[in-house]
Amino acid sequence: MAQADGLKAALCALAAHPEPVILDAAAVQRVDTAALQLLAAFVRDRRLAGRAVRWQAPSAALAGAARLLGMGPMLQLEGAGR
Amino acid sequence: MTVDLTQFHDAFFEESFEALDAMEAALLKLDVGAPEPELINTIFRVAHSIKGGGATFGFSEIASFTHSLETLLDELRGGTMPVSPEVSELLLKSVDVLRAMLRAVQASQPIDAQRVSDLQFDLEVVIARRNAPSPAAAATDTAPAADAAPDRSPRWQIRFRPYREMIARGNDPLRLFRELGELAEVRVQVDAQSLPPLKDIQPQDCHLAWTLEVAGRICEQEIRQVFDWAEGDCELVIQPIPAEPPESVPAPSAAAEPAARHDAPAPPASRPVGATPAGGATRSEPPAKSESTLTVLADTGSIRVSVEKIDELMNTVGELVITQAMLSQLGGRCEGPQAEQLRAGLAQLERNMRELQESVMRVRMLPISFVFSRFPRMVRDLAHRLGKQIELKLTGEQTELDKTVLEKIGDPLVHLVRNCIDHGIEPPEKRLAAGKSAAGTVHLDASHRGGNIAVQVSDDGGGLDRTRILAKARERSLVGPNDALSDPQIYELIFLPGFSTVEKTTDLSGRGVGMDVVRRNVKELGGKIEVASEAGRGSRFTITLPLTLAIIDGQSVTVGTETYIVPLISIVESLQLKDTQVSRLSGQGEVFSFRGDYLPIIRLHALFGVEPRTRVLHEGLVVIAEGDGRRIGLFVDDLLGQQQVVIKSLQANYGHIDGVSGATILGDGSVALILDVPGLIRIASMRAAA
Repeated sequence: MAQADGLKAALCALAAHPEPVILDAAAVQRVDTAALQLLAAFVRDRRLAGRAVRWQAPSAALAGAARLLGMGPMLQLEGAGR
Repeated sequence: MTVDLTQFHDAFFEESFEALDAMEAALLKLDVGAPEPELINTIFRVAHSIKGGGATFGFSEIASFTHSLETLLDELRGGTMPVSPEVSELLLKSVDVLRAMLRAVQASQPIDAQRVSDLQFDLEVVIARRNAPSPAAAATDTAPAADAAPDRSPRWQIRFRPYREMIARGNDPLRLFRELGELAEVRVQVDAQSLPPLKDIQPQDCHLAWTLEVAGRICEQEIRQVFDWAEGDCELVIQPIPAEPPESVPAPSAAAEPAARHDAPAPPASRPVGATPAGGATRSEPPAKSESTLTVLADTGSIRVSVEKIDELMNTVGELVITQAMLSQLGGRCEGPQAEQLRAGLAQLERNMRELQESVMRVRMLPISFVFSRFPRMVRDLAHRLGKQIELKLTGEQTELDKTVLEKIGDPLVHLVRNCIDHGIEPPEKRLAAGKSAAGTVHLDASHRGGNIAVQVSDDGGGLDRTRILAKARERSLVGPNDALSDPQIYELIFLPGFSTVEKTTDLSGRGVGMDVVRRNVKELGGKIEVASEAGRGSRFTITLPLTLAIIDGQSVTVGTETYIVPLISIVESLQLKDTQVSRLSGQGEVFSFRGDYLPIIRLHALFGVEPRTRVLHEGLVVIAEGDGRRIGLFVDDLLGQQQVVIKSLQANYGHIDGVSGATILGDGSVALILDVPGLIRIASMRAAA
């Protein structure tokens, strides 16, 4: 949560990027609901705008947290390459 | 965390009383020997939730007593003890004792400790007797929960909607879900409907909500403990996912449970995960059960609203009706291009007002079963004590009437039913000798009749004893020795204060209080009571009551400058008399012929001392009104319109006037008296007698 503001800023900067965005999440060791919520909004906004987001090897911590919160499908984490 | 628990007391009492009613009803249905498991469960749940509430609120006597009760019920539930007549009697007594305890606590009065401990002792004896022959019982006591668990593997649905600030307060749903996942199998569905666009998100706010499905051996208590920390930061609804149709038994622990969470905060972090505290294992089932019925209750979409709030609403609606009448009156006089539109709008307003009024009235309506439900127990006990066999028949229980009326009709009905059983129904041998079945029938019936509700109490007993009533009345010089009275007149005598024909007073009735009180109560409600009886066949008391005490449909009539309201329900018709119809009878005043009948005329201007527009009968109008089975003609100047009027009590604001039942405020702000037709008829007959 402490870094949520930073994450938001970073995601906002990417939000309107015309190219597909690839999120490298291999190094995520801990994640909280606040962060996942931002990511979910980011992925959704991009999708609604017809722009792609792809995950690069999301870590077990991220996938696990998303699964626990039932947010896997929203984040389009399923089927993401490890 | 300290929470003022007293705020939950009222709800606890109210729900406990309701639950006890349910328990009593279930007990009465309980077949000795072959009890239905569901009934025992119902009874058990009541005891259990009262115990929980009692403990939570520190009513230790209640908690202790219900604990004994619960132990006994548990034996019954497990089938290790048969339901004997003795046990059934004991349980019924327990209901009484619990009611008395709750009432005492509610009124902050001391509990009758002797009575409680006596009964508790009896309960313990029965339990001990059952346990004595098999010492293994204690050992097996812990086993049933585990054994019973497979067929009751509960599934729960949790609707969890954190408030925005929950995350900022350090409660991460992720942690809660992780913990829950360690207890049971969890399926999560997230609701991101209210997740704003990324740029609008406050990263500290939580915009998500979840629905979780939990399956596994977990009870609601355990789930709640997981969410303990988040409590106050979220909306949380925990519901069982029923494998079978949910039971609709009122569970009284609504107030107790949330409070319990305040009371005993068990930090989830320090709680050994997956292991229930010792002792909790055997008792973990029941709370889940009782909570489940609670949520089912909530699911039926009803809420508890205090009567004051509804009365306030009623009052406001009443004022609105007056305002609307005022506007209609104004609108009727308007002229000009927009007058038509205005009138159309006002007509619409009137329709809506009427609907609103009816809806608000319906809120106050309750089925009469609320009153009827107390009779099965009462009849059973009375019959038992008097050595009579009585069958109670209840019909029309769903008939609805105003809560105020409902509350006040209970006692009169109790009197009547007691009378039927005590005086009406004969002992079995006498009945058999008379060629009737040994068991007498007491029949309670309720039905709507126009704007009224009729409640009948009838029996197939011996009927009222005409000669004895008359003899008693003569003895008391209520009737002259040579007066010839008709049957209805004789039956009327029983409503006189202090009248009783029973030589030997029992502790049930015959103390000379009763029927006069019954009649007074009924009259206070604007109703009437009539009696019909047939020797050897039984008697029938009919109480007719208005559906509501607040609003009536009225016909406004004018006399001179005054306006009066005649209740529409008592109007037969209105007509202009011809000279030839009217005749003066000596000693009877004026009468007129109406469909072969002669009806007395009451000149309202003379009665109320108002200067009329005309004193000539055929120049004005006569309103034929009916009450108490008799008709009169009310002579008035003119008829105005029909309208709903809000009754304002004259007695409360001024004083009683014969022939007037109340007053109302008209659209123009003036006060109109509401005529009491039965009262006017009495005046007419008094005048005829004079």
